Amino acid sequence: MLRSLALLLCTMAISARGQDQAADAISREVKDLFDRCAKAVVKIHGVDEHSELSGTGFFIDPTGTIYTAYSVGGEGANFTVEFGGKKMRARQLVADLRSGIAMLKVDADSPALPIGRAEQLGVAAPVVMIGYPLDLPETPSFGMVAGFDRKYLDQYLTTTHLRVNLPAQRGEAGAPLLNMKGEVVGIVVSSLENSSSCYALPIEAAEKIRGDYMRFGEVRHGWIGAHLAEAPEQKDGSRAELTDIIEDTPAADAGLKSGDILLQVGTKQIHQPDDIIDASFFLTAGDVVPITVLRDGQKVTVNVEAAVHPAAQNHAIAAPGTNQAFPLRLEQPTDNTP
Amino acid sequence: MDEQFDDSEIGRLLRLKRHEQPPPGYFEDFLHEFHRRQRDELLRQPLWQIALNRAHDFMMGLNVHRLASYPAAVAAVLICAAVISLKIYEAPQSSELAQSTPVISAQPVSSDNETWDLAPASVTSATRVASLQPPIHFSNVSTHRTATPPRYVLDSKPVSYESTLRF
Repeated sequence: MLRSLALLLCTMAISARGQDQAADAISREVKDLFDRCAKAVVKIHGVDEHSELSGTGFFIDPTGTIYTAYSVGGEGANFTVEFGGKKMRARQLVADLRSGIAMLKVDADSPALPIGRAEQLGVAAPVVMIGYPLDLPETPSFGMVAGFDRKYLDQYLTTTHLRVNLPAQRGEAGAPLLNMKGEVVGIVVSSLENSSSCYALPIEAAEKIRGDYMRFGEVRHGWIGAHLAEAPEQKDGSRAELTDIIEDTPAADAGLKSGDILLQVGTKQIHQPDDIIDASFFLTAGDVVPITVLRDGQKVTVNVEAAVHPAAQNHAIAAPGTNQAFPLRLEQPTDNTP
Repeated sequence: MDEQFDDSEIGRLLRLKRHEQPPPGYFEDFLHEFHRRQRDELLRQPLWQIALNRAHDFMMGLNVHRLASYPAAVAAVLICAAVISLKIYEAPQSSELAQSTPVISAQPVSSDNETWDLAPASVTSATRVASLQPPIHFSNVSTHRTATPPRYVLDSKPVSYESTLRF
C-alpha cells in the first residue's frame, strides 16, 4: 500500500515537473519571438469622420510599407505611425474593403516581418499576436488556430478567415498573427462577439492585394458573372452548379451555361459551392483564368478574362502605374528581417 | 410638427441616425468637462463673494428659526463673525493655490509633453496633486475636444461579406 502511494506521488511529481518544463519552453519561445518581431509592429494613429482612432500595423518590407486592418487605415486620414521611439507621418496606399485590410507607407527605412503561409497551418496550430491594446505598449498574446471559416453569423465571408482562440483587445485591429517561426500568417481584422477569439485574414489574401497594387497601382478584384448553388447530386467530385449566368459578363461571353457543374477555377479545384469563395477572391480583373465545367457528361474548359468585381470599392492613392510602395525590389527582404 | 417633414422623411432620418453614437468615453468626458468649467466659473468670482457665499451657506445650515431669542441671536452673530473671519483668513491660501494650479490632470501626460488629458478629478484631487506636478497654465491645457482619448479600433466582426455565392 505504502509502495503504491509512493509510486503515485512520484508519478505526480514527475508529471507536474514535465508540465512546468513545457510551460517554460512555450514561454521562452513566445518571449524570443516577441523580442525579435515587436520592433516591426507599429502603433497607428489617424482621424476619421467620428474621432481620432488608434490601431496596430506592421512593416512588411524595409521601405516602410505597412499592413493594417481596414478599420484602422481604411477610412481615416492624417495617419501617424509610432515605432522605434519615433512618430512619423504615414500615407495611405490601399484601402480595400473587400479584404478588410489597408496599406500605409512611411518614408523611412524600417524593419520588416517575414511573410509565412497560412495554408500550412492546421487546427490547433500555435500562433502569437503582437498588438497595441488600448493605450498600452506592444503586447504579445499566445493562442491557437481554432478554425478556418467561410461563413460567420449566416453570411459568407469574402475569403476564408482564420479563427484564432486569442483574446484580441480594442486597439489591436491590424496586428500581425505570427507562426512560431516569427512569420506573418495573418492580419487581425476583428474580434468575435465575446472577444475571446478573433478573426485574421490569411496572409495569402493580403499578398493578393499587395500583388495587385504592385502590378496595377490599385486593387483589381475580378469576377466573371455567374451564380452558384448546390447541385442535387455530386458529379465528378463536385456539387457546385452554375445556376445563373448574368448577361454581358465574361461568363456569358465565354459560353458558360446554367446547369454546368463547376470543377475548377484556375488552379483551385471546386468540390462544394462555397469553394468558390477563395477561388473568386483570388481572381484579378484583366487576367485570363481557365475554368473547367462538366456539361452533358463532358469536361469543358474555357478561358475567361475576369472583369472588375462589382462589389469592389477599392481605391489606390497613388496614381495607377506608379509603384511607390516598392521602389527598391520585389523579393522578400532578408537583411532587415528580425 | 414642422410641415416640412412628413412621416417618410422622419422615418428616413431616424434610419439614418439610429446607428449614430457618440465616441467612446463621451459621456464620462462630458461630466469631467462640466466639473472643470464649474470650477473655472467658481474661481472667476471675487474672493469676498466666495467668502460671503460660504458664510451664507453656513448660516442657512444653522436653522435660525430655532435661535429666535435675543441671547441666541447675539451668540449666533458672534459665531458667524468668528466663522467669517476664519474663512476670510483661510480663503486666500486655497484660492491662490487653486489659481496657480488650475485643474491639473492626475493622469500621465502624453509622451511629447505637449497635450494634456483632462482627468476625472475633483477640485480636491486637482489641488492635491498640485504639489507633485509642475504648474500648468490654461494656455497649455488642451481643450476637451483634443483631449478626448482616441477610439481604439477592433471591429466585432469582419467588415466584408459576400451577399451570395457568385464569382
